[in-house]
Amino acid sequence: MSDQEKDPVVHSSLSKPLMISSALLVLTLAWGLWDEMYGIRPWKGYQARFVKAYSRYLKTAAGGEAEVEKQIRASSEYRRLDGEMNVAEKAATPAASAIDKKINQELVPNILALNDPFQEVRSHIGSLTYQIEVSHSESSKESLRKEILGLRAEKHDVALPGEPQKRSMDFKAMSDQLQAWKDEKAKLLQQRVDLMKQATELRTQRDKYLSDRIAEASTSTIGAVQNSLDKFDIRIRQIHVKDVDLVDRCESCHLGTREPVAITKAAMGGEQVFSSHPNKELLKLHDPEKFGCTPCHGGNGAALSSVEKSHGYNKFWLWPLHHKENIEAGCQQCHAKEAVTEMADTLNAGREIFRLRGCMGCHRYEAFDREADEISSVNQQIRTLTQQKAEWKREAGFDEQKANSPKTSDDEAKRLLAHSNDLKVRASGIDAKIEQLDMRSRSLIREVKKIGPSLKEARVKLKKEWIPVWLKDPHQWRPGTKMPTFRLDDGEIRAISAFVWQSGVKADLPVQKQGDAARGQEAFETRGCMACHSMGEGTGKQGGTFSANLSREGEKANYDYLVRWVHNPRQRSAPYCTFEKKDLTAADYQAKGLPYVFDLEHSKCPNDGHELQVQQMTPMPSLRLTEDEARDIATYLMTRKHDNQTYAAADYMDDANLKNQGLALVRNYGCAGCHEISGLEEEQRIGTELTKEGSKPIERLDFALLGHKAEAEEWYTHKGFFEHKLENPAVYDTGKEKAKQDRLKMPNFNLSKPEIDAVTTFLTGSVDASVPARYFYNPTDARQDIIDGWWVIRKYNCMGCHKVHVGQSTTFDGMTKYQDPDWKDQRPPTLIGEGSRVNPEWLMRFLNNPALSETDTNRDGVRQYLKARMPTFSFSDGEIRKLVRFFEALSSQAQPFIPEKLEPLSETERTMARNLFTSEGAPCLKCHMTGDAKHDSKATAPNFTVARERLKPGWTKRWMLDPALMSPGTAMPSGLFRMENGHNVFTGPTPPSFNGYNKDHADLLVRYMFQFTPEELGRLRSSAGAK
Amino acid sequence: MDLNQLWTILSTADNVPIVLLLLVVPFYTWYGLRQSFANDRLIAQLEGNPEMAKTHHRKTQPWRPEWAREVHVWPYLLRIEFLAAIILTIILTVWSIVLNAPLEEPANPTLTMNPSKAPWYFLGLQEMLVYFDPWMSGVVMPSLIIIGLMVIPYIDTNPLGNGYYTFKQRKWAILTFIFGFIVLWVSMIVIGTLIRGPGWMWFWPGTTWDHNRLIFEVNRDLPDIFGIHGMWPKFIFGAVVVGAYCVAAAIGLHKLITRTAFNRKIYARMSVLQYTVMQIFLVTMLSLPVKILIRLLFRIKYVLVSPWFNI
Repeated sequence: MSDQEKDPVVHSSLSKPLMISSALLVLTLAWGLWDEMYGIRPWKGYQARFVKAYSRYLKTAAGGEAEVEKQIRASSEYRRLDGEMNVAEKAATPAASAIDKKINQELVPNILALNDPFQEVRSHIGSLTYQIEVSHSESSKESLRKEILGLRAEKHDVALPGEPQKRSMDFKAMSDQLQAWKDEKAKLLQQRVDLMKQATELRTQRDKYLSDRIAEASTSTIGAVQNSLDKFDIRIRQIHVKDVDLVDRCESCHLGTREPVAITKAAMGGEQVFSSHPNKELLKLHDPEKFGCTPCHGGNGAALSSVEKSHGYNKFWLWPLHHKENIEAGCQQCHAKEAVTEMADTLNAGREIFRLRGCMGCHRYEAFDREADEISSVNQQIRTLTQQKAEWKREAGFDEQKANSPKTSDDEAKRLLAHSNDLKVRASGIDAKIEQLDMRSRSLIREVKKIGPSLKEARVKLKKEWIPVWLKDPHQWRPGTKMPTFRLDDGEIRAISAFVWQSGVKADLPVQKQGDAARGQEAFETRGCMACHSMGEGTGKQGGTFSANLSREGEKANYDYLVRWVHNPRQRSAPYCTFEKKDLTAADYQAKGLPYVFDLEHSKCPNDGHELQVQQMTPMPSLRLTEDEARDIATYLMTRKHDNQTYAAADYMDDANLKNQGLALVRNYGCAGCHEISGLEEEQRIGTELTKEGSKPIERLDFALLGHKAEAEEWYTHKGFFEHKLENPAVYDTGKEKAKQDRLKMPNFNLSKPEIDAVTTFLTGSVDASVPARYFYNPTDARQDIIDGWWVIRKYNCMGCHKVHVGQSTTFDGMTKYQDPDWKDQRPPTLIGEGSRVNPEWLMRFLNNPALSETDTNRDGVRQYLKARMPTFSFSDGEIRKLVRFFEALSSQAQPFIPEKLEPLSETERTMARNLFTSEGAPCLKCHMTGDAKHDSKATAPNFTVARERLKPGWTKRWMLDPALMSPGTAMPSGLFRMENGHNVFTGPTPPSFNGYNKDHADLLVRYMFQFTPEELGRLRSSAGAK
Repeated sequence: MDLNQLWTILSTADNVPIVLLLLVVPFYTWYGLRQSFANDRLIAQLEGNPEMAKTHHRKTQPWRPEWAREVHVWPYLLRIEFLAAIILTIILTVWSIVLNAPLEEPANPTLTMNPSKAPWYFLGLQEMLVYFDPWMSGVVMPSLIIIGLMVIPYIDTNPLGNGYYTFKQRKWAILTFIFGFIVLWVSMIVIGTLIRGPGWMWFWPGTTWDHNRLIFEVNRDLPDIFGIHGMWPKFIFGAVVVGAYCVAAAIGLHKLITRTAFNRKIYARMSVLQYTVMQIFLVTMLSLPVKILIRLLFRIKYVLVSPWFNI
């Protein structure tokens, strides 16, 4: 039988395949083990690399700071502290070591030796006691009690280290002895601490001396870090916040995040992953142990298997890590109600764009445009309260009826009558509430503003032919304008222009005579117009971005209207009745026999008594200019135009047929979101709500035909959607077959890349929070006032003129004119610390009427020397309240304000102060205004007569002592006082009357200023003039 | 041709078994049939030579006269099975290292994924939902499949083909299995995995699964085509058509069964009950492709329409 003929089933050998597959199996198992240990645990590799890179860095870092440290260690002060510490330590050492010896060689071994037998008996007793408690029969309880007594009495032979003989002790003896030793040990330890106290304190002092003088980590810190690195064990490092179910293991790879030594990318050999958190202050506020990492940053905190997965960049993770340019998106979910969040500039910019560019005109966003929401909520509350009141009254009536019925018992009747009285009292309380709400409702009408100008005024304001040109492409006509570009065809432009023109209110404006353009330009550039408005095109642009660039104003505006607008922008051509929903005409007033007068004092509807909208809904304030000044500025603005610019005639705009077409289009494009339009005052927003847009399921974001492209190009994310939409709002219509009116309506805002990033940050952060509500920033203290205040501050662009918080710059800081040293003092005052500076009641008055006078309004109440002027904003009471509380809260002032009592000034003191004020050494009156017109024209500081009303004494004193500290660059000199015997003494030569005066000089001046009167000013002036 | 889309579908961890299925099922079918045909030739040889049949009963190929008629399970079978077990362990281990479980995002009850697919082994059932009343394809048919599988040993009266591969001796059983399992079950799984896209629409492999795709498709019930109105007339009409199908299918199947002499022998061994049960299951099984065809070709939704169930 040849080999070939053998039966393969029986005779063939399987050893080779078995060998090979077994080997493969072993290899596979090895692979599986490796994968388990390292393959799916890449963080182990990161940790190994971290230890290596960090140790290397620490070595170099130790060298870098060592030189400085050596110098400090060699300094006499350090050596003195060190020496004193050593002496103190040496002095205490013998006694301390005696104590150590007693504790370690006597007490501790004894305690240990006795503890075991004692614990044994005690636990036995414990278990028997438990049995007594759960036993049901009295007899067994009794026997158990006996057993315990037996145990307690039993004697044990205990071998104690210090005694040759065994001691025989029962339970109580053991217990007492043990306690005695423990007490003794505690007493000795306390003695030791007392002994070493001086040395310990000196050591802390010495170390603090060192650490205060080294910016980076000192060698001892580095040493400690190096030590812990040597003991570094490779394990998962996680933050677990139990009550939120949060597990963040980010620090398993990002090991340097919270290191005491600041680590940069370069320091770690180019590995960004190991660098420290870039903002230590932020981390201090949001302690990672409490907040974790992912609530702010996004990502999958529990995942460790790959970078992609732990950053949440896989398809199925709903909260991916925020990209660097949108990193502040994480702030929004908890800081959702704020206009300004500290340390989140990109996010703030996004919110600002959302508000200022009119996004909120079409898109609802909780907390934005809150006035409109508040109106409806206030009205709802009034209705509810009125109902409640009626109900209580009815119930009170029923109670009385029942009480008067003969069937009711006396007691019951008494109870009913009492109840009825209670209800009446409570009902009258409601009246107070309603009254408040009513007032609020009225002031809210004042607070509602629109982003764009009122189109009701279009007819009196604009040149007719300009309207279609503007509609075609606003950004081409005026680059950077708030008005976005709608994708309108010529037919639509014609229809909309016709509607705008024909729906405008017809009014006769007084014909104004021409002003002086040169004076107008001067006023425009110095009065403060440019804090909001810019002038000039291209690189020559100067001024603020809050409102329109006026370089081509002359091409579009009607001169007579412009004069009225500059004089008082809030003045309307016709009042609007929110109840009748129509613009009132002179005929309405005439019918009731009333003059056609409507302003803030005459704001009741003649027909039905409801509150009228008597102001234009613009945030633009009145600068209290005279008519002449207004004419000058308007004349100047009319000269601002391109040469030879012509506009084609547009007669079709009077075509009545086009008007209705235009109305449909205006409605369709949501123009009423930003403009006040006749007949569309109550229009709803046309866009989708964006409050939670960032957490909308991605499937509900309509990528239309671009979905596959987005996936292939990896922008099928919220971020990608927002960015593409903002860059080109029509992008998701690409390739779609749609009727014109069904196409996407969102217009193009021509946002720059940083602006898109800012808005994307804001929107991606607008999520249904993944953290519980108590993590939200909803402070109940003064910090809430700050949140509320920012909305008003931003609404009226206070920051265009004033520095409101540290690190912020104003429009004036950027204007060429105000770089000149002569003009530097003409910048509006900084408001940092305003709350601690001024009396809130005065501030309230000032905000209401910055002229601080009913008659002389063509001036600034405080700084009359300033050319730029604090305008009258016609704030509502609610806004003033918010602003005052905002400034108070920013300076941590207590609410409500109680003025500080000052010691009255004696007559001698008054004379002394007056002498000092006029002395050569203290030329206060050189800069401060005195009320003398000639002097005041050169003065650059406020009048002392307003100080008493306006300032707080504490601040005034701090200001006099060191003004440069509060306001760097101020003209007020620093170093006027020096410390002497614990009180401030004037530095310059003091008048002779000061000899022997041993009170605080600064205090004296403050008290003088706060008891200052106009008569005193006169005396002061005359005595100054006498010299 | 959207190769990216094709690759996405084929490489999804969920679909890896289906891709393997596509390769492995035809291979083993071919491999088993090849062995069967070889054995059939041997059987023919043995039948033609009674002398040889006396000494050689081993119906496996290859075969030589001097080889043992039978071999022991241990070690000859078990050693091969052991080898197979090792190889399979290697495959499964590598598979589980390389491909992770396809975990998805936390479930959102307000958001249904699209397409929303059952696990791969249930995709055949899901595909049936397209063609039948949910009650039929979700309850009646799956029950019938299970009962049908349980019934097989009781209606199988063919004593041949135990312990060796053969086609000739079990032609009917093998063809029925190939039809029911490979043609119907496996192909429906493949359709459900690779062809059904968003909106459970039909996407040929290589086309883009477009969520915005719109197709125009009107399906009507058979009675409506004939202009029959009213509940009862519709019901009666449907019942007649379904009844006619059953009768026609049963007659056709009977003709098929009794075509060869061998099958007639088997048929003769069956009791009336066995034969009836077999016919019921065969007619039901056949209704599936018939319904698929009239749905896809004639856009007919239901044949029998009633307020309680539809067929």
